[in-house]
Amino acid sequence: MHNSSSLTGASDPNAVARRLVQRAYNRDGLPEIAVGLMFLLLSGFIYAQVALPRDSMGFKSAVLAFALLPLPLFLGSGWVLQWLRRRFLIERVGYVEYKPMGRRQIGFGIALAALLALALFGIAAWASHPDRWLLAGTGLLGGGLIAWFGRLPRFILGGVVMAATGAFLAFAGVSLGIGFTILYGFQGLVTLVSGGIVFLRLIRQPVETGE
Amino acid sequence: MGAKIQRLAEVDRIIHEPARLMVLALLAAVKQADFRYLHQSTRLTKGNLSVHLSKLEEAGYIAIEKTFRGKYPLTLCRLTERGRGALNDYRKTIRAAL
Repeated sequence: MHNSSSLTGASDPNAVARRLVQRAYNRDGLPEIAVGLMFLLLSGFIYAQVALPRDSMGFKSAVLAFALLPLPLFLGSGWVLQWLRRRFLIERVGYVEYKPMGRRQIGFGIALAALLALALFGIAAWASHPDRWLLAGTGLLGGGLIAWFGRLPRFILGGVVMAATGAFLAFAGVSLGIGFTILYGFQGLVTLVSGGIVFLRLIRQPVETGE
Repeated sequence: MGAKIQRLAEVDRIIHEPARLMVLALLAAVKQADFRYLHQSTRLTKGNLSVHLSKLEEAGYIAIEKTFRGKYPLTLCRLTERGRGALNDYRKTIRAAL
């Protein structure tokens, strides 16, 4: 704890607010746990498509789940995190209502997704070793997004790990399906462990009472 | 240049204090937040935060509502329109001068 006299250099309130809200949002590790579980789920769906016979029900279910589940899971995870925090963690992390996402942010997200899809399509269509480029590119882009949106040292480290894993798998020459299974699975584990450690540290802290 | 730098003398001193600026900036980024959230995000001492919240409320920059969520007491704080305007003015003044 410190008093106000030690807080200096806060000339841009927006930048200060973004940094503080970002830090507070990730204080309990729950967002990382959710992202880690989603990565592991994706990895499982991809592996099922590699391992199961094409005409089996499991294969078809995995294809459908891979295509349809990620978006609702991503959108629903915010609501679940909010519920969990208000139900079980309010005495530890406090109560906050975030502003809904603005049109500019939504537009930026859609534009970024379209750009990435175009880039992947371009790689698949014109590169001489599309599998390798897709693995390295996914690692680099995924790692970059994790580091960019997380902005905290552990997210930057996670982003570097994902980029390095993608590059390693590309050079190792594994098939696309196995490569993505390992890339998402390993990243899922790393993110899950990172979030789990943060969550356990928070839970072990004594609850302060009174205001 | 001289006129610009002189504008710094007009800066809102209630907002200019770093702890209060931090609280206002945080509240500007969310709909509303409780005392504990602000306490943990700013890492100010509880007494210090409490004093700064009172000063901001007196100035009409934030609204404070005391309520309960189950057995948990909530002191909810949100930025008022006046506070948002003052924060924007402060930012413009600083940017114009520096």
